[in-house]
Amino acid sequence: MNRLPYIRPNIQRLQAGPVNPFRLGSSPSCVEIDGVPVAELARNYGSPLFVFSEKALREKYREAHRAFSRRYPDVQFAWSYKTNYLNAICRVFHQEGSIAEVVSGFEYEKARRNGVDGSKIIFNGPHKERADLERAVNERAMIQVDNIDELLTLASIVRDRTEPVSIALRVHLQTGTHTVWSKFGFNGDDGEVLQIIRRITTLHNLRLQGLHCHVGTFILDPENYRVAARRLVELAIEAEKIGAGQIRYLNLGGGFASHARLHYQYLPPEQTTPSLDRYAEAICETIIGLWPAGRDLPRLYLETGRALVDDAGYLISSVVAVKKRHLPSQMQTAMAAYGKSAAVMPQGNSRHALVLDAGINLLYTTAWYQPKILPARPCLDTPEPTTVFGCLCMNIDVIREDAPLPSLTTGDQVVLHPVGAYNITQSMQFITYRPAVVMIDSERKVHVIRRRENLDYVQELEAIPEHLATRTAVSRPEPHILAVA
Amino acid sequence: MSTPLSDLMLNDRGFVFDPASGETFQLNPTGLRIVRLLQSGLSHDAALTQMVSEFEVDEHTAQRDFSDFLENAVRLGWRIE
Repeated sequence: MNRLPYIRPNIQRLQAGPVNPFRLGSSPSCVEIDGVPVAELARNYGSPLFVFSEKALREKYREAHRAFSRRYPDVQFAWSYKTNYLNAICRVFHQEGSIAEVVSGFEYEKARRNGVDGSKIIFNGPHKERADLERAVNERAMIQVDNIDELLTLASIVRDRTEPVSIALRVHLQTGTHTVWSKFGFNGDDGEVLQIIRRITTLHNLRLQGLHCHVGTFILDPENYRVAARRLVELAIEAEKIGAGQIRYLNLGGGFASHARLHYQYLPPEQTTPSLDRYAEAICETIIGLWPAGRDLPRLYLETGRALVDDAGYLISSVVAVKKRHLPSQMQTAMAAYGKSAAVMPQGNSRHALVLDAGINLLYTTAWYQPKILPARPCLDTPEPTTVFGCLCMNIDVIREDAPLPSLTTGDQVVLHPVGAYNITQSMQFITYRPAVVMIDSERKVHVIRRRENLDYVQELEAIPEHLATRTAVSRPEPHILAVA
Repeated sequence: MSTPLSDLMLNDRGFVFDPASGETFQLNPTGLRIVRLLQSGLSHDAALTQMVSEFEVDEHTAQRDFSDFLENAVRLGWRIE
């Protein structure tokens, strides 16, 4: 007798609800990425494995550029290095026409080594070393000043130069977001920035040419950008009135949302993430509508990172253990409060759980977002709430509290998406090696863009003091050796 | 209060109505088969043996999942004899 395919038996209590991710029927899966089977990628390059789609990177860049350039005559994108500074990723964006936006001497150097001319680098950030500022001045980078100390350092650097240096100011504004990023730049609402502009007009060899405002991150309401653009235009007009000259560029920063999903985000990203056209409309319409008639429009710079790279990044990981997790009722509430539970599901008081071979040290953004976790093979059974643990020997290593997943077993692969933004740059080596990163090009060819770490790499910067160089003899055998002897 | 397994109303797609509580549930095909076997009067051991003979599963896995399934059913308010 032919036996039937087996899936783990399951009961799911049904509940009414307008948005139920645990829908009945077959589970969605991700069997291939850009035409390359996930199983083949894991077999050839190991698991876990970060995978980037070059096609998705280029398409998203072109979509963004199209959205803005068809509404505004002078648009320039600057690739936000901190979002993902793997050289291959940066070079894709540079090939597409992006200049570089960097926030440290390290990133500046990376951009230069990627072939970006100093004059095509926007130098941002709250901490710029004097030596880095000197280099940026010499190479005519676009320095966006964050604070008064930086301004005075710059003034001392340029004092004896024969020609003036152009700079921009970073401004923070009340745009309707729940918090104002007041850590950065000067206050544009209480007159502080105008005081600084007056100060600049008195400093030898410094010329104000631009204003910059980064509203925040993962901004789901384009209206925040409409407010920011209006305020920047008003400040530019004020700046000219007080003798700073004509402002040549406005920089609206980044912060456009990707298709990631925040913890507690009720609706799926497909319904909440605004199109790039909506951001473009809010920004471009406002500047064009308010800029003084007869004056050349300022160049519009954009530093969007997440929206361009996040959706192009995947993490392949493998199931290494299957568990059952008992949840006392008070713990369900506590978990929701902890912030990683999208909803407390009335699934009795136990839940299936999986352990993956990747941990949150690779997925820094899971602190704020819940990536989709999809099986890498078609599954016919109904998804059920499943806690997905990482492989770290740490209790906090929970990738998703309640991912809707079908019955999976050890050796199965899953694909986490989107994970292209910030996870590479903010991942840390911890307990095990960080995985390789590959990029699939438009002809489905797979390229390793970062090799898997190994012990030599991890220990490269370590040094052993001389008195520890000789191995100390251990004379006593361990109990487990005694037991088998 | 718990509902005896024999009182649960099932259809062939795994939809379950508990007439005592008014709650509804969804069983996957394997879960449905277990409930049907137990409703037909088979003992737990006999139902497990039947599952192993009908499905591509080893005895160890089937036993583990069978116990988990029944444990979950009890938590959801079903009385397993």
